[in-house]
Order: sequence, then C-alpha cells, then structure tokens
Amino acid sequence: MAAAVGSRLSRLLGWSRPQLGRPMSSAAHSGEGSARMWKILTFFVALPGVGVSMLNVYLKSQKEHERPEFVAYPHLRIRTKPFPWGDGNHTLFHNSHVNPLPTGYEDE
Amino acid sequence: MTHQTHAYHMVNPSPWPLTGALSAFLLTSGLIMWFHFYYTLLLATGLLASAMTMFQWWRDVVREGTYQGHHTPPVQKGLRYGMVLFIISEIFFFAGFFWAFYHSSLAPTPQTGGHWPPTGILPLNPMEVPLLNTAVLLASGVTITWAHHSLMEANRKESAQALLMTIALGAYFTYLQMSEYSETSFTISDGIYGSTFFMATGFHGLHVIIGTTFLATCYIRQQMYHFTSSHHFGFEAAAWYWHFVDVVWLFLYISIYWWGS
Repeated sequence: MAAAVGSRLSRLLGWSRPQLGRPMSSAAHSGEGSARMWKILTFFVALPGVGVSMLNVYLKSQKEHERPEFVAYPHLRIRTKPFPWGDGNHTLFHNSHVNPLPTGYEDE
Repeated sequence: MTHQTHAYHMVNPSPWPLTGALSAFLLTSGLIMWFHFYYTLLLATGLLASAMTMFQWWRDVVREGTYQGHHTPPVQKGLRYGMVLFIISEIFFFAGFFWAFYHSSLAPTPQTGGHWPPTGILPLNPMEVPLLNTAVLLASGVTITWAHHSLMEANRKESAQALLMTIALGAYFTYLQMSEYSETSFTISDGIYGSTFFMATGFHGLHVIIGTTFLATCYIRQQMYHFTSSHHFGFEAAAWYWHFVDVVWLFLYISIYWWGS
C-alpha cells in the first residue's frame, strides 16, 4: 500500500523514481560536480545574504531606542512564585536598562 | 556455529539504558527539589549522569558501526527509520508550543487588552536581528548540503571546511539569540506573550545547541576517518536534524516574530 502511494506521489511530482526508498539510499550518487554547485551557492548567495543582513542590523542599531514609560499592568511582570535563583525577582536574562521589576525600573 | 548467518545486529548487553532511565528520574526529581526547595544536588547529579549516558551509549554505537562492522544495509535502514521517527516526535513536541501560541494570539483576551501583542508588550522588529538569524540558518542549510556532497565526492578538505562553516553559523545563531534575550523589553514573566515567546524560542535554541553539538561530533569523526563516501549515516542523521531545526525556526519567525508582531 505504501508502495502504491509512493509511486502515485512520484508520478504527481514528475519524478521517475523506481521505488520509494531511493532518495534515502546511503549509496545515493552525488551528481558530478554537485558539490561545486553548493559551494558556489554558499559563497555567492548564502554568505552574502548573511553579510547583507548583518549590515542591516548594524545600520538599524545606530538609532538610540527610548525606553517606554513604566505602567504597572497586572497582566505583566507576573510573580505567582519567586524564581529559584538570586532574589527570586529577576528573570534569567534580566537587563535592568530595559526590564522593569513589578515595582518599576530599578535605575529610576 | 561461531558466527551469525544473518545481516542483523544482535546488540550486546549494555548498562546505558538503565543509567539513562535513572538519570531521567534524577533530572525530574532534581527539578522538583530545585524549584520547590532550592536544593540543586539531585539536578546536578542527573545532568552529569545523563551526559555520561549519552556519551558512552553513542560511543558504543560508533564502535559497533565503524569499528566492528555491525551496520550492514538492513541495520542502517533501521537506524534511518529510527532517526525519522525521532524527528517526527520532535515535530509533535514543537506543535504543542505553536498550538499554545496560536490559541492565545488568535483570540486575545480582554484581560490583556483584546489585541495581540498584548498591551504594554513591545515586540522585536522582525526585520532586524530575527531576519539576520533567518539568513544565518538558511545559509547553514546550504553549507551543510555542500559538506554532504563534498563527502559523497570524497573531497576531505572541502567537506571539513563546509562542516566547520555550518558549525560556526550555528554558534553565531546561538550568540545572536542570547544577546536578543538580554535586549528584549519583555520577559518570560510578561503574561501569555512572554510565556509563549520564550518557551517556543527557548526550546528551539536548545535544539540549535544540540544540533551544533551533533555536527561538531561529526566533524571530529570525519577527521578520524570514520566516514566513507558511501557510508556516513551519522552525518546524514545530523544533517536531517539540522534541517529540522532550520524549518522550526522558519515557522517561529513567520508565526511569532512576523505575524505575531
């Protein structure tokens, strides 16, 4: 039954595969020069894409972010149980410049 | 009869399943002792025990396959099925967190302002570091494919280079996410937004670290000549896992970072 579904899927996808297990074969032959294609994609598409994104982040980070005013919303800064570290009132990645405690910013 | 007349692997008795189960018990009871009584010894012992179990169990699998020749084609097929089923179970694991996110964000409650993101939450700009993270993981998918094809073409130097680049990109992603975690104005304690955000992205980050470790193990094994151009299932399993991690990120990025802002 799996073979019937597999061959229907193969025809649907326009692939001429003799059996479903083929692409998972450990002896799958690497097409001549296909490593070269992926190497070219790496250095001309993938890594430049990362570079452009890095530049974008750098340029955007130049702008100084003003931090929002503190409002003691009841649905935020929830403390039903203390954290099992420190004084139990600070989250794991606490940053006192941007993370207020339930009572407000620490440096105000 | 002094040798087997079939192609299957009758594994020798091993203590690691037992130590694995015991370490799981230590981890769970350790978490309880830590959360409720601030006592960390059980958890630390559990972490050590599970790390030792994993190291020794997988070391044994490498010994059985690479050095003792037990991984015949039917055995390898079984290992493939195993890895596929494991990844499917991980997909279900993440499905839970995505369900939680969509449950809360598609019908925002009046208590949080009746809209998503909730009142008082300043979401991250998806076009800044999250976009860079996407580029990094997609690039790592390209480099690992380059590594695989180089391996199949028996090009040692390039497959090592490409694998190293993949590991570097994985480490870069982790570094970027950790710095993002320190910079967000919202925390895990900021209601349902914080909970869903950090549970989903947090577990994803853990899987990136696991995947990077798996890739690093492959790099060491490659340097030790464990792989051949036609038999390198450990590498393929690592590559499948890495692509899975990449796809989960794409879903995270589109759902939480982009649509959810």
